[in-house]
Amino acid sequence: MSVVGVLTAGGDCPGLNAVIRGLVLRAEEAHDAEVVGILNGWEGLMDGDVQLLGRRDVDDILAKGGTILGTSRKDPYVHGDGYASVARTLKRNDIDSLVVIGGDGTLRTALRLGEDGASVIGVPKTIDNDINGTDFTFGFDTAVQIVTDAIDRLTTTAEAHNRVILVEVMGRTKGWIATYGGLAGGAQAILIPEVPYDIEQVSSLIRRRHRRGKNYSVVVVAEGIEPPEKVELEKDAFGFDRLGGVAYQLAPVIEHLTGYETRVTVLGHLQRGGTPTAFDRVLGTRMGVHAADLAAAGKHGTMVAMKGARIDAVPLAEGCSEIRGVDWELYDVAQTFFG
Amino acid sequence: MRIGILTGGGDVPGLNAAIKAVVNRAAEQGHEVLGLRRGWAGLLYVDPDDPASLEEYSLPLDPARVRTIDRSGGTVLHSSRTHPGKVKASDVPGFLTPPPDTEPPYDFTPHAIEVLEAYGIDVLIPIGGDDTLSYGLRLHNEGVPVIAIPKTMDNDVHGTDYCIGFSTAVTRGVQFVHNLRTSTGSHERIAVIELFGRYSGETSLITAYLAGVDRAVISEVPVDIDRLAAYLVADRKANPSNYAMVTVSEGAVIEGGSMSLRGEADAYGHRKLGGVGEQVGAMLKEVTGINIINQTVGYLMRSGSPDSLDLMVANNYAVMAADLAIEGQSGRMVALRGGTYTNVPISLIGEGVKRVDVGEMYDSEAYRPKLRHVGGKPMFLY
Repeated sequence: MSVVGVLTAGGDCPGLNAVIRGLVLRAEEAHDAEVVGILNGWEGLMDGDVQLLGRRDVDDILAKGGTILGTSRKDPYVHGDGYASVARTLKRNDIDSLVVIGGDGTLRTALRLGEDGASVIGVPKTIDNDINGTDFTFGFDTAVQIVTDAIDRLTTTAEAHNRVILVEVMGRTKGWIATYGGLAGGAQAILIPEVPYDIEQVSSLIRRRHRRGKNYSVVVVAEGIEPPEKVELEKDAFGFDRLGGVAYQLAPVIEHLTGYETRVTVLGHLQRGGTPTAFDRVLGTRMGVHAADLAAAGKHGTMVAMKGARIDAVPLAEGCSEIRGVDWELYDVAQTFFG
Repeated sequence: MRIGILTGGGDVPGLNAAIKAVVNRAAEQGHEVLGLRRGWAGLLYVDPDDPASLEEYSLPLDPARVRTIDRSGGTVLHSSRTHPGKVKASDVPGFLTPPPDTEPPYDFTPHAIEVLEAYGIDVLIPIGGDDTLSYGLRLHNEGVPVIAIPKTMDNDVHGTDYCIGFSTAVTRGVQFVHNLRTSTGSHERIAVIELFGRYSGETSLITAYLAGVDRAVISEVPVDIDRLAAYLVADRKANPSNYAMVTVSEGAVIEGGSMSLRGEADAYGHRKLGGVGEQVGAMLKEVTGINIINQTVGYLMRSGSPDSLDLMVANNYAVMAADLAIEGQSGRMVALRGGTYTNVPISLIGEGVKRVDVGEMYDSEAYRPKLRHVGGKPMFLY
């Protein structure tokens, strides 16, 4: 009987449990394989903290947010002795394939472990939808839905007070959540890192709209846009800039340039928590099932990906090669509705 | 009879339902309703001699116009924090000259009354928190018939046990707490959730009570960070998922510190609160070494559509207010007292402050909700 190990690393993301459930049941039912859950991301793999996963463990988890395996931001090459302790845990548990569910940082670590000898399969995980090689990642749709609901509600407050409300959303260095959320919420402007903005231009857009009699505006601000003035940013263990708060720097400038009261709402962790949408449950399930199939077929060094409407595999290196930005065509559609 | 209606201060879910119910109740009895736009600002910035400005700041309301407004949040009349009795020199409209021999802030109440006369308003129904309604009291004292409807998500208007908006704010708070659990649990952190509520800790207390949050920091009781940290570390250890949560009122005070105020004071002397959650989070991180998730729920607590309890109260307050107005009463505020709908003198709002009954509902040692008694209390505990 072959053994598949699975871990989740990095930030949590709605749909993770759907992947785990899909993987476990497919491995059991179609491939007569056993699944070993590795607890708390890479940390559990370094420390040998594992738990056998069966049907009873995953029966009720589809609708739940978070991850039943836990997660951490530890990295074997940064916080451990690299491949050595990882190899020990894999060997001790007879793990033939290691399924790594994570964002680009985690996938890069998986790629390196693969180069050092581990049999890895990646599953892309991020609410930011910015992993190369896949058209969509699970968690993104849930985040966009939360942003859309928030814009719907905040629009009524903006109108009641004749204000400008800046809604700061996640997305790291890319503007996927901002663009989709802003489009769905009918925002008056969307500022994303991929497209340099001119604060004067944004302000005159708002002024024009208010002169037209619509004297309230909602502007979606991606957390990764350039702040109006350079500020020092904290870094986390992977060397990523810790983002968030740029809207607070923009607000006084927009208030000054437009003359309209400007308020900020930072959606923060609310975008990652909670129950996955139907789309994310289905996508996560399909990716988990496909990962089990890849493991059974011995197709290591790959990453599960959504290509058009199909679930497929791409080389893991492709998923790690670059961060995928918003395509111009989509942003151009969004721009049609600015002001 | 012509009834004037306006909404002042922060928007809350349920305002449109209240406006609609006043209009329908009045129309049934053959009376008309004129909406005054942007709270008390309408009374300051209207030039009674200029028909265009009279039109800009008013919205004639009839059952057809209000048919669908109760389905969304915000207020169709818009709102402001203007106080016509305290106007900064820079806010004086061009067509007005300040009263002679006075210093700013200026009192333009005689002008406000002139505007009400120009609109032909027989009785005014302001919907607002204690700031907005305090100016309603002023107008009542000047002889303008006024019936007040209390609203605020903070539930802190003195004289009534309930204000429109509170239930939805708590409903949102509970929902967001549960949504944050997965992130907090996955990362085994401590979540610090800052909630709106101004000087009252009620939103923090009741949200924590209903969402099962480990600890609640409220404005009424200064918090000792070392003690809070020790409790949260123990809570986290006792939780099988190894995380802990605490709600913090925006008006909370760290022992030995003061409220986190920002920006300039508005016409009512109030500055913006906020930032204490970040502070508490940073201090907890320092004491415990555990990573923190800081989340401010902010405007999302009072944006959007009302829940059923706020619809219930908004409709009932509006019907009562319309009836009192039509009966020719003045100087009353519709209210809930001991679970029963009633009305009280508006002057009550200035005669005290409404805060959490700490002795009855809170454990100041353990920083968490603790109900001493439930039997005999009304449904909403007040």
